[in-house]
Amino acid sequence: MKRMERRSRGVFWTILLFFYVPIVVLVVNSFNTDRYCGPWKGFTFKWYDRLFHDHEIWQALGNTIEVAVGATVASVVLGTLAALAISKFKGKIQGAHYGLLYTHLVLPDILMGISLLLFFISIGLELSLLTVFLAHTTFCVSYVAMAVLGRLEDFDGALLEASRDLGANPWQTFWKVQFPLLLPGIAAGGMLAFTLSIDDFVITFFVNGAGAETLPVKVYGMIKRSPNLPEINALSTLMMLVTVLAVVASRMMQRSRNPSAKPAAAAAALPEGQGGRIRR
Amino acid sequence: MDDFLVFKGVTKRFGAMTAVDDVTFNVKRGEFFSLLGPSGCGKTTLLRMLAGFERPDAGRIFLDGKDVTAMPPDKRRVNTVFQNYALFPHLTLWDNIAFGLRLQRRPKDEIEERVRRMLRLIQMEGQEWKKPTQISGGQKQRVAIARALVLEPQVLLLDEPLAALDLKLRQHMQIELDRIHDQVGITFLYVTHDQGEAMSLSDRIAVMNRGKVEQIDKPAALYEAPRSSFVAAFIGDTNFFEGTVTKLVDENYCRVSVEDFGEIVCFNDKHIKAGAKVYLSVRPEKMHLTHEKPADLHGGKVNVYECTVDQKIYQGAYTRFWVWRGASKDDCWELSVMQVHNRYLLDQQEIGWDEKVWLSWHADDGFMLESYAEQDEAMLPHPTEEASDAGAAPAPAPAPAGAADAEAAK
Amino acid sequence: MTDAAGRPRMGLWRRIRHHGGELALTAPSFLWMTFFFVVPTAIVFMLTFRPTAVDGGIGTGWTLETWKTISNPNYPSIVWRTIWLSVVATALSIGIALPCAFAMARTSAKWRSVLVGLVILPFWTSFLIRVFAWKNLLHPQAALARALHTDLGAAGFLALQDVMLFALLFGAGCLSVFLLNSWRMSSTARGKAACAALLAATVAGALWCAKLWIAFASARIGAGVCSIVPPGAPLLYNSLAILVVMVYTYLPFAILPLYAAAEKFDFALLEAALDLGARPVRAFVNVFVPGVKAGIYSAVLMVLIPALGSYVIPDMVGGPDAEMIGSKIYQRAIPDRNLPHASALSALLMLGVLVPPGIAWLVFRRRHIGATETDVVRSLGSSSNMGNSGGRRRREGGAS
Repeated sequence: MKRMERRSRGVFWTILLFFYVPIVVLVVNSFNTDRYCGPWKGFTFKWYDRLFHDHEIWQALGNTIEVAVGATVASVVLGTLAALAISKFKGKIQGAHYGLLYTHLVLPDILMGISLLLFFISIGLELSLLTVFLAHTTFCVSYVAMAVLGRLEDFDGALLEASRDLGANPWQTFWKVQFPLLLPGIAAGGMLAFTLSIDDFVITFFVNGAGAETLPVKVYGMIKRSPNLPEINALSTLMMLVTVLAVVASRMMQRSRNPSAKPAAAAAALPEGQGGRIRR
Repeated sequence: MDDFLVFKGVTKRFGAMTAVDDVTFNVKRGEFFSLLGPSGCGKTTLLRMLAGFERPDAGRIFLDGKDVTAMPPDKRRVNTVFQNYALFPHLTLWDNIAFGLRLQRRPKDEIEERVRRMLRLIQMEGQEWKKPTQISGGQKQRVAIARALVLEPQVLLLDEPLAALDLKLRQHMQIELDRIHDQVGITFLYVTHDQGEAMSLSDRIAVMNRGKVEQIDKPAALYEAPRSSFVAAFIGDTNFFEGTVTKLVDENYCRVSVEDFGEIVCFNDKHIKAGAKVYLSVRPEKMHLTHEKPADLHGGKVNVYECTVDQKIYQGAYTRFWVWRGASKDDCWELSVMQVHNRYLLDQQEIGWDEKVWLSWHADDGFMLESYAEQDEAMLPHPTEEASDAGAAPAPAPAPAGAADAEAAK
Repeated sequence: MTDAAGRPRMGLWRRIRHHGGELALTAPSFLWMTFFFVVPTAIVFMLTFRPTAVDGGIGTGWTLETWKTISNPNYPSIVWRTIWLSVVATALSIGIALPCAFAMARTSAKWRSVLVGLVILPFWTSFLIRVFAWKNLLHPQAALARALHTDLGAAGFLALQDVMLFALLFGAGCLSVFLLNSWRMSSTARGKAACAALLAATVAGALWCAKLWIAFASARIGAGVCSIVPPGAPLLYNSLAILVVMVYTYLPFAILPLYAAAEKFDFALLEAALDLGARPVRAFVNVFVPGVKAGIYSAVLMVLIPALGSYVIPDMVGGPDAEMIGSKIYQRAIPDRNLPHASALSALLMLGVLVPPGIAWLVFRRRHIGATETDVVRSLGSSSNMGNSGGRRRREGGAS
């Protein structure tokens, strides 16, 4: 057992190295004076400087966030409703419903991209940020629905019965018990939708119109036009920094929101009556 | 008064399975009433129908004279304590208890006062700002009870409320439940599969089996005078005899011929006629084992037989014997006998394995059953199983992996 | 209200409310998905039977022309490359992910979340950037490429690459022996079939390695230098580059489901296997791997399907000689503006991606899959006790 652990741990750390070496090389090269990202020729910030003066990138970033926010809101609403429907009702309709969402989840991006492109062409819809938003919402719905469904699967049905038992009607039961308990799942689904939307390249590439470039599409264009442009390294480094910070921040937030004993103990220590005013 | 809560011909089917089959009984106001039976006997379904989570396929349920059969759960003045507590994890204990009162839009002062009174009742003052994840199982149980009781229901339903607790806590909570019932005076409908729990808490018990009520009685009556083989075997241990009534001795006694035992004298309060086939139940602790044949002091009302000890298990307060009588050990009647002992170590005449002993019991201790089903015998403890199942709570058989774990730990 | 006349009315009202609720909850996403998923998919299939218009649009009328041109010799090679690259990438990813998942699941709970974080973190960075990072690493001026192209002189006669390939071949040989042994041991037809399939895959992989080795060696001999990679042979723009980058980008998709399964795995089973006399590798393969079977299934699904449809990777590191279906679809759809052709390729890919899992689902749903872990341990005990005595494990345990 010990030997197996040691060996597998060796494999694991090697793989982590494999994961991080390309990224480290990329980050290092973003500070390299050499235009071709070859050997180290000195430290520079000029690529970052150039990046900040590229207003097209800022425009693309704006587009990306606009689409991501819209798609997240739309897909959270649709996905949550879908998850509730699937978990609450059984039968052929919900089987098909789940099948649709699941199939869409496993379908390769390129197929979603091409089919939506052909669809938009067929119905004569001009490619624009709107089509990007529609496409993003479509693939995000599946992810949100799965995230909320996961939460619903762990959901203790007795809680709903308890709520009804204590005099709540179905509507009150939903808002006072089910919704607050599903909120973490919905938030996780929303987070996932937001990041996926920001990161998506393939689908966007097919359905975006002129002037509706998102950041990944812009980056792709830059890579294609001038390979090894260190400016892309700089941009990538910044994007990675932002995601890492976002992940760390969300972790910290989760930790601080966890029910720790301290606030509860503090409230309990208060003299009677005052505790009553603290609560919500 | 007597028909405060009435189940009338209630039937519930799930697909092809009939969970509750034409059940009719009454519960008195303020009573602690238990539904006792093995898992799958329909007791929880019955409770859920009263709570409003299931609709009966046939029959009616009346509560305080009103038909509640079709009433949605939030309209019934009935509250439930769920098996796994079902405390809302996102609310504090205070908010959990106040949940129902707030839905009723009670004035703030009243909510405050009633929640506080409940906290006092369950002895958890000062902990109301904790979340359910921060308290122990027993405390959760008490909060669940408080949450249901604070609404002053007409009936409090308890669905195996102690099943998730460990033995010590279970015993403690039994006392607690009894105290709460005494203090609030509300009708309790208690569902359990644990006969000990039901016996010690209830005013009356309905024993259920396969969707039907087998017997409703006071705890002592259930134990001492079971009407069916199921009740006899489910509550405690017993010995069954199958025989034919040969002769009526006098008004209250008769003789029953049983294979290998000759004729057994038996109490016959049901006035069964000679020639009828009957089944007898005799509790193990009513039987006695002695080295010498006991003198007949009761005027022929004691049954005495010579038997051989098969197995013997010392269990502290008593010793359990398995004795047999018959042609050979492979073709015989095996009986379970419980001997309470006073001075075990000083007793010179300790009964050992494979010894010949005298078995005796008084005719009054044998009970004729109204109905008998052979499969009920499977519920009785058998000598080989007994050895591994000494404690009150049978531990699940360890998985092979567990055994390997222990081996590796060495 | 309680009489017989009251009940049906109540029932009807409840039924309407019930179905109304279901409708209100279901309709939004169901309609959305129908409109933006089912209809577009149908359009893809429909367009394959349309002629191409001269202006790059879709012509009128119906034709089978597209399907005829699809079978021209250019496409099968692309399809074949797509399939083998995806399958090999999936197999490699899972092969690597299994020990990783094992290591992660055996770490203490405190460190586990850190390890998961380390695996997920590169996964949070943009997919494009991760592929681009490999371009940085592999392009001709990069340090790695130059190191690999350095002339090692006479000392490099047995270059690192040869050692590596030799090791690979040796490993394949060992694996074949092991698989042959497993084939002999397994009692079920399914087990035998699985072993045979794996054996065939191993042999095929070994042959491919050998072919590659011969090609590289002859290229180096022809150039008269001894470098690890023959001079002039680019690291980028070939199938190998696609394979490496695919494994790199899809590996987290394999590790995470396997880790989720490994976390639920009862490691006492492994100890039981060792206790019954299995050697570590055997215990790992015959107890741990079947134990995380569910994780393997989802890992296959999560790696193979995106791999089959990958576009960015072949486009960025594959070059014109190493196209895959994904990049061909894009080429036909956008630069060539041949929409019927693009939709025919998409339809092909869609069938390839959806039909096998569909069949698997239909088959497995009806049958209990395989033996449980306990069965495995039990059968292992009975088979390996023949050769091993009980004392062996204890000595091993004491040594480690």
